[in-house]
Amino acid sequence: MKISFTKKQYISFLSVGIMLVIWKILAIRFDSEFIIPHPEVTFLTVLKIFGDSGFILVAGTTILRGVTGFVISGILGMGIGILAGISTNFNAFLNPMLVTIRSTPVIALILLALIWFSPDSVPVFIAMLTMFPFICTNVIDGIRSVDPALVEMARFYRVGSWRIIREVYIPATMPFIISGASSAMGIGWRAIIIGEVLSQPQYGIGTKMQSAQTFLNVEAVIAWTLIAVLISYAFEKLIRWSERKIVTWRV
Amino acid sequence: MEGLKMGLQVENMNKSYNGKFLFNNFQIEFFEGTITCILGPSGCGKTTLLNIIGKIIPSDSGNLLGFDDKEFSYIFQDPRLLPWKTVRGNIEFVLSRDLSAGKRKAQAEQLIRLVELEGFAGYYPLQLSGGMRQRVSIARAFASPSDIILMDEPLTGLDIALKQNLIQWFSQIWKSDRRTVIFVTHDVDEALLLGNEIVVLSKAPAQIIVRENISEPVGNRNLEESHLKKMKQVLQNALGRSA
Repeated sequence: MKISFTKKQYISFLSVGIMLVIWKILAIRFDSEFIIPHPEVTFLTVLKIFGDSGFILVAGTTILRGVTGFVISGILGMGIGILAGISTNFNAFLNPMLVTIRSTPVIALILLALIWFSPDSVPVFIAMLTMFPFICTNVIDGIRSVDPALVEMARFYRVGSWRIIREVYIPATMPFIISGASSAMGIGWRAIIIGEVLSQPQYGIGTKMQSAQTFLNVEAVIAWTLIAVLISYAFEKLIRWSERKIVTWRV
Repeated sequence: MEGLKMGLQVENMNKSYNGKFLFNNFQIEFFEGTITCILGPSGCGKTTLLNIIGKIIPSDSGNLLGFDDKEFSYIFQDPRLLPWKTVRGNIEFVLSRDLSAGKRKAQAEQLIRLVELEGFAGYYPLQLSGGMRQRVSIARAFASPSDIILMDEPLTGLDIALKQNLIQWFSQIWKSDRRTVIFVTHDVDEALLLGNEIVVLSKAPAQIIVRENISEPVGNRNLEESHLKKMKQVLQNALGRSA
């Protein structure tokens, strides 16, 4: 088991290595820092950004927006998802709304949000709207997957409805919620940064990317992109870690 | 069954499915504080009878006398344990929330000891064998503050040794509180090992074709003894006739 895990890690390193080699080949081929800067130069820029006094404020604001959007969509997604999972009528009512939100291009939502909200709120609103359908749909699927025999058992033993939701439905749905959270986070970070690029709040990774692009500072655009990828990766790891801590019963 | 109270009765019960009578003016009585085994061919309505008694499904007509204020526990064929709760958690799940957490834990621990799963209180169902899970399900049924335990073929599909062990554990706990048990099975040996009363139903519409009682205490029976062998023959013949 441990050997195969190490092997997996080696394969992941190999994959990252190949991406870097391709990047380096392209940088040599185009030979222009305005088109593709060299990877080592870009990594130095990343380190420089890390060392910058304003970095924590910029990255922290983007992370805060992501977490806020995630918490709001998580609470709404779970609440509404549980109701829709239990009631087929409510699900029929909700489904067209979910399909509409999921199918609407993110850019259309941003354009409307730009009219409706302040620049600071736009990315949060977009994050919330893009994450909500993932969490909600997974909660609905999770509730539907609950073994009816377990619910029947709980009712036979006169366990109250609230406890059945808390102790039967929610734990059974937890693996689905975590998987939904993971997909939601993946798509959510991208939506937040697009939102920041277009709404230009005072602080944010997207704001930094937009100003770097204005000055054709491709190095900085890619450096901030790498930072966004790192943040997204860190949150993905955090979700997987919570999954191991929460879903301990799966052997 | 002298001295025992025959307080539970199903009277003039009718139940039909798709125009076919499962029960037509059916009557049965149960002694409180005893184990009644109901034998019958598959499809005769044994599980339906259990579900009607347990108020899971209604009958078309008829009376359930003495069942009104009764609470039920269930032991199913599949143990139906919550996979995300430990052995202790599964037993505590059916305990009243009016009890303090400490009392719930103590009660659960006591039943865990009775089914000899002391070292496994913190284990999840997926970490247990099939027989151990069924023991947890038995402990849960006894933990629940019920008056009647309904058992729907809980030993079906288990190997003989495991079956005998479970019967042993069940008898051991049952002796400690002598709750009324209604046990549906199609296995004559199970009925002979566990039943104080054994009832054989005919095929649908079900009627009682044989009713026997065994005075020997549950848990100390040897199926090789002549009177039990004789009774087995009687029950098997009745089942053969009813099939």
